Amino acid sequence: MRSRAFLASVLSHLVLLIGAVLMLAPFVWMLLTSIRPAEEVFGAVFDPIPSRFAGFENYAQALFASNVPRAMLNGAVVCLGILAVQLATALPAAYALARLRFPGRGVLFGLVLFGLTVPIQVPALPLYLALAKAGLLDTFFALMFPFFLTVFGLFLFRQFFRTYPEEILQAARLDGMGEFEIVWRLAVPAALPAIGAFSVFSIVAHWNDLYWPLIVVTSRERATPPLGILAFRDAETGGNYGALMAGAALITAPLVLAFLVARRGFVRGLTMTGLK
Amino acid sequence: MLTRKEFLLGTAAAAGALAAPAVRAQATVTLDVLHAYPSFARFFTPVAEEFMKANPGIRISFRQILPNYDELHQALLRGALTNQLPDVAFSGFNRLPELARTLSARNQILALDMLIAAEGANWAAENFSPRMLALGKVDGRQYGMPFNASSPIAYYNPELVARAGGNPDQFPDSWEGVIALAAAIKRAVPQAMGLSYYINSFDSDWLWQALVQQGGGRMLSADGKSVAFAGEAGLAAVRLARRFVTECGMELIGADQNRQQFATGGIGIIFDSPARLAVISNLVGGRFPLRTAPFPITDKTNGGVPTGGNAAVIMATDPAKLRAAWEYVKFSAGPLAQKIAVEMTGYLPVNLKALAPEFLGRFYEQNPNARSAALQMDRSLPWEDYGANGPRIHRVQQELLTAIMRGDLAPEAGLARMVRETEALMRAV
Amino acid sequence: MAVSSVPFASPAPQLAARERRLALAGAAFAAPAALLLVAILLAPLIVLVLLSVTDYRLGAVAVRFVGLANYAEMFSDPVFRRAIRNTFLYVAFVLPAGVFGGLALAALVHARKRTRSLYEVIYFLPVTSTLVAMATVWQFLLHPSLGPVTPLLAALGFGRLDLLNDPDLALATLALIGLWQLLGFNMVLFLAGLSAVPRDLYEAAALDGAAGAVDRFLRVTWPMLGPTTMFVTITTTISAFKVFDTVVVLTRGGPLGATDTLLYVLYLEGFHYFRTGYAAAMTVVLLAFLCLLSLLQARLIERRVHYA
Repeated sequence: MRSRAFLASVLSHLVLLIGAVLMLAPFVWMLLTSIRPAEEVFGAVFDPIPSRFAGFENYAQALFASNVPRAMLNGAVVCLGILAVQLATALPAAYALARLRFPGRGVLFGLVLFGLTVPIQVPALPLYLALAKAGLLDTFFALMFPFFLTVFGLFLFRQFFRTYPEEILQAARLDGMGEFEIVWRLAVPAALPAIGAFSVFSIVAHWNDLYWPLIVVTSRERATPPLGILAFRDAETGGNYGALMAGAALITAPLVLAFLVARRGFVRGLTMTGLK
Repeated sequence: MLTRKEFLLGTAAAAGALAAPAVRAQATVTLDVLHAYPSFARFFTPVAEEFMKANPGIRISFRQILPNYDELHQALLRGALTNQLPDVAFSGFNRLPELARTLSARNQILALDMLIAAEGANWAAENFSPRMLALGKVDGRQYGMPFNASSPIAYYNPELVARAGGNPDQFPDSWEGVIALAAAIKRAVPQAMGLSYYINSFDSDWLWQALVQQGGGRMLSADGKSVAFAGEAGLAAVRLARRFVTECGMELIGADQNRQQFATGGIGIIFDSPARLAVISNLVGGRFPLRTAPFPITDKTNGGVPTGGNAAVIMATDPAKLRAAWEYVKFSAGPLAQKIAVEMTGYLPVNLKALAPEFLGRFYEQNPNARSAALQMDRSLPWEDYGANGPRIHRVQQELLTAIMRGDLAPEAGLARMVRETEALMRAV
Repeated sequence: MAVSSVPFASPAPQLAARERRLALAGAAFAAPAALLLVAILLAPLIVLVLLSVTDYRLGAVAVRFVGLANYAEMFSDPVFRRAIRNTFLYVAFVLPAGVFGGLALAALVHARKRTRSLYEVIYFLPVTSTLVAMATVWQFLLHPSLGPVTPLLAALGFGRLDLLNDPDLALATLALIGLWQLLGFNMVLFLAGLSAVPRDLYEAAALDGAAGAVDRFLRVTWPMLGPTTMFVTITTTISAFKVFDTVVVLTRGGPLGATDTLLYVLYLEGFHYFRTGYAAAMTVVLLAFLCLLSLLQARLIERRVHYA
């Protein structure tokens, strides 16, 4: 019995380790390449350690001679802008859907459920035409607007608010608290872990999104991180793939670091929401 | 047939010497200018600055730069309807015929022939090769003045050429020669490709048109309405494509992958845009002394290479603006502007005088690899345009070419299908 | 709002007033989101359906009503048909591999004590990474002569494979990269589900005679994970359906159209060929597929799951 448990544990470690190597390999390759001198990038399969540390020049090129920093800044603006509007509109609406009776509630929730199956690519064409007509292409607004609506957030927060104890709400109402106060001072603070988990979803999705920025953005000044990488790849590296990989590492880093910091909270938040 | 506008302008410009000082004396004229590709600002801006230095009475103001030639074309067609055309626009060569035909019917674009004539009998011949100037011609009239021009060149690895017994200083100038050399490279260095001609993964049909045009063929009939590559030249081109694989050891991989592999010494010869010289040089690093050569042309009389790029067209209506626009367009096609643009991009100069030592001469002495593009000036042919379904047609053709190169389709059958599907898509607009 | 404004007498006028106040608050809270829903979802959908029966091309001056011609063309369009086939093949691989792989990983990681957080981080790394950036790395790794993967596979006896440029392999390669990015996400969702399974259920099952790990899993864990499985299945389906980034960066639909997927073809038609009307029709069909799939899955899973 003991030996069987031991064997199982060894086996599971083995599987997890092999998987981990496969998961990590591209990252290791990316980091190794990012410190390699340009002339050594290709044809170095069998001597993975660079002959000369070229990390400084590669990262310097990515940071100072490319559009990558600008793209990252744009990414931050877009992600935070989207998240702010998403939370400001979805939280009260989700609370209303969960706890208040109002005309049209059923229809609205039905639409939310329907919306869950509609990816951005579906309304993209008409939205693009409308933005073009309004002369708003290639603006931050165009980048953010379609994502102000988050049916996923509405659904998630509604599920959460449904579990919020009714007695507390009643007590608060008896104390003379208005619904507005109840949402922002009672319900939302209780939902913080769910909000955290949702924020991770939202930021990861919009930092990395390619489809929509590819359509509405044309200038370097509005490039988002994926567009920054594409432009860097095509024209700006001048064939230096070391610098390209440095740029890729820089663009990947913020989310990875953020996840490392917020991991526990994220998993707890997931558990607390309807996603369990 | 002359329009009223052209007549007015022609007489004004005929007194050419009079017109220019008049502009200078007047209050500032501002030209509204539109070009495509945001990254082109890096040479459009310094050219405009030089121009304004030389012409203090004219100010150049750029409109919001459009992402590519297609969107610029659409914007101009829309602008024509709403009377919001810029004074000068730099139209992609391949969109110029449709633009000129649409706008000239509405009397919204200026034919430059009289202005050119007014510059003096020898002006055109001294500055431009006839083939280059022809890129701006539509239905026999000069609507565009070439500004940027680019046609594919050969990049090769002289060490592999030498190992195959070839002479690195004498790159073949016909495709039989290229195939023989590449096959020899493949035999001498079996793990390398002799050459790679990546029409299977290139992001436009440029390289495919080059293969047809160098053999004296054309993609389209003169009126642009029917397919013209069904004949000998087209067949020769698809046969070549298949032979790259069977005789020269070409493998069908991605365009980027080709450049990478070439840089490590894994391919003898590749064909690409001269604008990629800097990228490919950096990829190669110090591995081997990279060389370039003009694109081989089998048919020396009718053959040529498709030329991408743009030409300036004048749409201004106000006479003062017209004169200022012509000065600007002339300057853009002149040696100083060409020096600025070519040194930054690697394109070929459109102006013969730009080759003089004080302009690009010294640059070419120091960068002999950049010269190959300039040697193609008088081999320039239009990059032919199939119309609104062009991008779709390219995709279909690329797939059939891939199938031919892989051997899934015989060259003859593949070409026939390519002709059939291209014609169907041209009709489907 | 005055109580007297209540239109008809009620046994408890104060209560009714409160109801009304709450309803008003609810409507006010829901209004911004509802407006966005109309502007970003409903109105575009209506426009989309209208566009889909025209021959509109972006920038065109004239528009013609063409009835169902776009839809008819679509089903005889070989590119669209292979895009559907490729997308379904892609989903057919990524969906089960993603769901069961994520579940298996979660079960293995859940059982680890000291190394659990390490594995969590490692497997989640691809989820947070920018796929466009990582696709560039993959292109590198998969280069047939310069990358390490081809020689590695050759050493393992697979022969000399070109994973991105061989039409028979390209789609599978993209699917594996898709799986690489997705697994960690599903694993974390299942981990959250697993940690919510009450301990005492396992004890009860043990009393009932559930012996081995497999038995425990089948009798307790799996049924308790129902809602998670449903969520994971639906999100995996949708994200597999949406495969796009890797196609753009790595294959552009080639070689020989082997990696043409629905979204990529849609992108080409709508924003590259500017055939707006046709692209709109394609989008309507895409939406129909997505709705159908979601409904189907919801039905299938709900039969076994009681949603908490």
